[in-house]
Amino acid sequence: MLDLASRDDVTTPETDLLTLIETIEALSATRPIGEVAEVVRKAARRISGADGVAFVLRDNDKCWYFDEDAIGPLWKGKRFPLTACISGWAMLNRQTVIIPDIYLDDRIPHDAYRPTFVKSLVMTPVRLEDPVAAIGAYWAEEHVPAPEIVKKLQVIARATASALESGRLHDSLVDANHHGAFLLQELDHRVKNTLAIVQSISRQTLRATPSPEAFAEVFENRILALSQAHELLTRRAWGRAQFHEILDKALAPFSANLADRFDIIGPAVTFSAETSVSVHMTLHELAVNAAKHGALSGPEGRVVLRWTVDEAAAPPMLTLTWREVGGPEVTGPPERRGFGTQMIERGLARDLGGKASLDFTPRGVIYTLRAPLSQRMSLAA
Amino acid sequence: MKSNKVMIVEDEALVAMMVEDMLGDLGCEIAGSFGAVDDALAWLGSGEPAPDGAVLDVNIGGEMVFPVAEELRERGVPFVFATGYGDLPRKGFESVEVIAKPINVGALRKAVDGFQSGEE
Repeated sequence: MLDLASRDDVTTPETDLLTLIETIEALSATRPIGEVAEVVRKAARRISGADGVAFVLRDNDKCWYFDEDAIGPLWKGKRFPLTACISGWAMLNRQTVIIPDIYLDDRIPHDAYRPTFVKSLVMTPVRLEDPVAAIGAYWAEEHVPAPEIVKKLQVIARATASALESGRLHDSLVDANHHGAFLLQELDHRVKNTLAIVQSISRQTLRATPSPEAFAEVFENRILALSQAHELLTRRAWGRAQFHEILDKALAPFSANLADRFDIIGPAVTFSAETSVSVHMTLHELAVNAAKHGALSGPEGRVVLRWTVDEAAAPPMLTLTWREVGGPEVTGPPERRGFGTQMIERGLARDLGGKASLDFTPRGVIYTLRAPLSQRMSLAA
Repeated sequence: MKSNKVMIVEDEALVAMMVEDMLGDLGCEIAGSFGAVDDALAWLGSGEPAPDGAVLDVNIGGEMVFPVAEELRERGVPFVFATGYGDLPRKGFESVEVIAKPINVGALRKAVDGFQSGEE
């Protein structure tokens, strides 16, 4: 950074111009706000010949006296409402203000100035179209600066605006870069996790199916269900998924119009991204079983899916039932408990820290889940 | 063969079911299978006999499994991590073996053999 202070204090139009050029060069190579302030306060003071200079940042509805260079203390570190100080006035009105005697101007909060040396000032906003800062030059005497001095301060203000903008762009690029690297790592993790789920499904489907043909059909349907669960996750940017959305997706393959075969009644509940995959897969397995042996295997049967949340319990408890009605008579549980049954009985309950049961009553299958609300499953706001 | 009761902490039910299945094939019994750090800690503190080994996922629904790992280490129970995170920092557990996901049954077998010989 150039050292403006060490130079001889005699100013001529030539040295002023040189200082201005050097300031612009210095600002174009400067990004951190502290360094910008350092360049600005020194250059503005030297070029204006003022007794003091303040560099003020806009901080929402406050002016923040960020840095100063003056013969006596000003307001460094303090914040004032935009509407109660002259730097705020300059920023809000997007114009340079020249005040030869501050005590004759009621835009000035006189009490704040009384402890200081200031008698007159120039304040110019930084970035005219939408000011983000202001540069103030102060004199101990009543004073009207020459028009070319005001112009030079405005030139410094423009160079400062560019420096602040390039700093902001630089910061957002660095952030974007970090974010990109983080996302890639996260993606890697999720892909591997999803592959582990696929591995699990393939292994356990293979174990439970008698022939390659049967394997292909069941496996493909499970992978399709998994893929739909992910589609929903992606659409929600891996945020929370609504239970109703999951139901629509997971049950759609089993009834063109859900209401034809399903009675779905319950309050709006959301699931975390991870858990929504288990919810989806559990619903898929329940529906597959219903379509194969249960209520959805004939034209008449229906599934009644109801859930309630007992908010008086601590923690609040969800009770959900999937009850099949109107299907063929059920003669008892299947002889062997396959992957689907295991998923139904254990998967979701395990994820949610609850209990699930699958009962084969003569009238139809009843699946019951009781689980506490948590980060993984909550009532929609 | 020595008895081999293995504990599992894994938040993804489908993956947990597979690990249980694989361990079963390797002649192990499942001492307990947990989807949350709190549940695993509660079980360890319940007076149940300590397992002979453990397979721990690292990120359990956004929570790190390390409190469980610390408890196991204190009790001298050997364990391995199973994770999809390539290079997750594992403070204090740098020497613990990591099984990558998807899980290679051979790697799991080696881990189980390690449990039986009493290595971490």
